[in-house]
This record gives sequence, C-alpha cells and structure tokens, in this order.
Amino acid sequence: MDLSFLNVLLPMLFQGLKVTLYIAVVGILLGFLLGAVTGFVLQTNCRILKAIAGVYIWIIRATPLIVQALYVYYVVPKLIGVDLSSNTAGIIVITVNSGAFIAEIVRGALEGIDPGQREAGLSLGLTPTQTMFHIIIPPAFRSMLPALFNQFIISVKDTALLSVIVVNEITKQIQNYAAISFRTIEAYTTGAVFYLVLISILIILQKLVEHKIRG
Amino acid sequence: MMLKIRNLQKNFDDLEVLKDINIDVDEGEVVCIIGPSGSGKSTLLRCINQLEIPTAGDIEYKGKSVTGGEIKLRDFREEVGMVFQRFNLFPMKTVLGNVTLAPVLTKHKNKKEAEEKAMELLRKVGLENKASAMPAMLSGGQQQRVAIARALAMEPQALLFDEPTSALDPELVGEVLNVMKELAKEGMTMVVVTHEMAFARDVSDKVIFMDDGYVVEEGTPHEVLENPKEERTKAFLSRFLNS
Ligand SMILES: Nc1ncnc2c1ncn2[C@@H]1O[C@H](COP(=O)(O)OP(=O)(O)OP(=O)(O)O)[C@@H](O)[C@H]1O
Ligand SMILES: [Mg+2]
Repeated sequence: MDLSFLNVLLPMLFQGLKVTLYIAVVGILLGFLLGAVTGFVLQTNCRILKAIAGVYIWIIRATPLIVQALYVYYVVPKLIGVDLSSNTAGIIVITVNSGAFIAEIVRGALEGIDPGQREAGLSLGLTPTQTMFHIIIPPAFRSMLPALFNQFIISVKDTALLSVIVVNEITKQIQNYAAISFRTIEAYTTGAVFYLVLISILIILQKLVEHKIRG
Repeated sequence: MMLKIRNLQKNFDDLEVLKDINIDVDEGEVVCIIGPSGSGKSTLLRCINQLEIPTAGDIEYKGKSVTGGEIKLRDFREEVGMVFQRFNLFPMKTVLGNVTLAPVLTKHKNKKEAEEKAMELLRKVGLENKASAMPAMLSGGQQQRVAIARALAMEPQALLFDEPTSALDPELVGEVLNVMKELAKEGMTMVVVTHEMAFARDVSDKVIFMDDGYVVEEGTPHEVLENPKEERTKAFLSRFLNS
C-alpha cells in the first residue's frame, strides 16, 4: 500500500487540528462564561432575566448548529454591518451554542448543592455573595467538570460543521485535500481515523478528570 | 432579655405553620422546644435567624427589632449562631477550614488568630486531632461537634440548635449532648429543638411545648415534662415515652 499521500495530507490535518482546537478551546471558555451567567440567572427569581435566558436556550436547542453557523457568518454581518472572519464567526457559534448547554449544566450543578450549605453560610453571618463564591460555587464547579469536559468534546466535534463557513479546521482540510488530489477514499478514511484518535484522547482525559474528582 | 418573639406568624402560601408564637429567652437561659413532627419547630428557628422571612410579628434581639431592621441582619446572625440537624459542614474544606472560614471572611480575625481560636474550640469539642481531616471522613457525631465549633468561632451570644442529634446513630448522641451540656454550664444562651427528653429535663431552664403552630405550654422542665397541664402536652409526652 502506498502511503505517500500522507506526506501531504497529514500536515494539512495538523494545520486543521490547530484551528479546530483554537476555536473549540476559545469557544468553550467564552461559552463557559456565557453559560455560567445564564445558568446562574436561571436559578434566581428574576422573571425577565429568566425569560431572556430561556429564549436563548430554546433558540439554540431548537435550531441545527449548521444553520446557526450559516446565520452568524452570512446574515449577522449584514444585519450589524461588520465583517466577520470565518474563524471569528466560528468562535461565536461555538460560544453561543456551547453556552446554552453549559447553562443547563451550571443550573443543574447549582441546584444540586444542598440548600443547607447556603443556610450554613448565611447563618454564620456571611453575605449572600460570599456564600455564593466561597461555599456554593467551589463544589458546584467541581461537580460540573465532567459534564463541562463532555461539552468540550461535543464542541470539538461540532467544529467540523464550521467547514460550511470556510473555517479551515480538520474537516475542511480533508475536503480540500480530496478536492485537489481526487483521492477521496484516502482523504476521508485518514480524516475519520484522525478524529477517532483525537476524540479518543479527549475521552481518556475526561475519564481521568472524572476519576480524580471521584477519588 | 435576649430574644423576644411576639405574635410571630409564618405562612407557606395557604399553609399556616406558625400561628401566634410568643417566646422570651433570657441571657444565659437554655430553652428546649419540644413538639410533634410538623408542629413548626424548625420553621420557628429558621424564622428567628431569618432563613425564612416571617409573615407577621416581631423578633427583638437585646431590645432591637430584627424584623424591623434595627439591627443589621448580618450582625444579628453573627451574634446568634445556628446548628443544623444535618450538620451542613462545607465538604471541600478541612475541619479547620470549616471553623475558620466565617471569622476570616467577616474580618473578625486574621487567618492566624482564627486558626488559633479554631484549635482551641476543636480541643473543646474533643477534635483537635481532626483539624486537617475532611468532613466526609468523620462520624456524624464528630461532624456535629465540628459544626458546633464552627458556630462558636463567630463568638456568638446565643446558639439555635435544630434537632442536633436526630440524624445521629444512637451511640453518637451522647458525645454531642455532652458538648452542649458543657456550653450550657458556661452560660451560653441556647434555644434547642430536641426530642431528647432527658437533655431537656436535666439541662434546660425552660421547656416549651409546641403544637400546630402555637406554644401550647411552657414552664420549667419539672412543670412541663412531669406535671403537664394541657391535654395535648400529656398526649404528646405519653406517646413519646411509649414509643
Ligand atoms: N419551605 C416550606 N414550604 C412549604 N411548607 C413548609 C416549608 N417548610 C416547612 N413547611 C411545612 O411547615 C410545617 C412545619 O414544618 P417544620 O419543619 O417547622 O416542623 P417541625 O416541627 O420542625 O417538624 P419535625 O419534628 O418533623 O422536624 C410542615 O407541615 C411542613 O411541611
Ligand atoms: Mg424540624
């Protein structure tokens, strides 16, 4: 079997990996900020903010990611009159998309903390804010780490869809190589294995994190 | 008078849990509250330190209205601590961390002072060798003693206990009650919701029997526990002693 095509394809895939990880990591970090705020809002009593958060989550969950990507890349720039690069649009999509799911993770984690913890904090004379930051958030954050890592893995896979808005991530690189070389079988098979290895590594890391938290 | 509770009412939606509660607690007094499940004992304690907002009525602390805002809620809570049935220790902090957290955050003490004080309190509750343990490694009785030390770390003027031994295995009840007896001897003002009749009889200055959102009967332990006047008190006590 002639594997010499890898000399061209592999560098392209690693180039794509950089873009994939860049967008997924920045997207998930910003998504965490957005999701943390949204998730916090969801378990307060402010109706207006809760309604806004609810609509946001609803829109994200009820539309396909690929449509969200096309919308952010092609429509939003027209509406607000600024150009978005592919990568910027990609980061926005991953941020907004993961943020909606992380909001639910954050809400669940906050609700999972025994109300007695808050009461213990308050009854010791701490302010509600001190109680939140020193007593509720640390265990909540810890309990949500596995789910956050899982969302990160989902977001890494989701970046593949950003190929439709010309982000040069892994999938786009596979398509590029197939187009110039006509080696469809080699391109997509190698690409699939590449994803398999990448995601497997992330899954192993996730298991380690989970183990550490449990242990 | 340390705590004065007047015409306290608490509703949860349509459910009237506290109907008209009047209680006085003098400085240095140990008041035990007994009564059947659902009579509103926990709700009363939670209203006192404002974990629940009373529907009506007034709570005064040393002549200042807590409900009327004459004393800041946080200052009041610093002076009147609470010990919970389920301990509510902070699971990610060590025993020492649990005890020092509030004094440091509320700026009553710097870290070093707080740790010295905490070690002194842990010694008092017999747990100085557990300072660096995590709560999950302790027995229920040990956890509750840590919770008492944690409350004492704020140097409160009074402590509220909500069934502090009800979540414990029977053999662990004694160690917690002993700490509480020690506190009573030192003159700590305490309001204790409890089913431990022996503790109520031996330690308290006053026993209050609550039922259905009212104080049905109050008096010395001798009066209420041994010579109850009200039928409901008699019925509760006989049911209790027979069970
Ligand atoms: N947050 C709440 N919302 C609605 N109802 C409540 C709430 N807290 C307590 N109740 C109700 O108020 C009543 C009194 O409850 P409370 O916990 O004060 O009783 P208790 O005397 O402490 O009983 P127990 O001995 O079982 O602890 C119960 O009927 C309970 O269901
Ligand atoms: Mg109760």
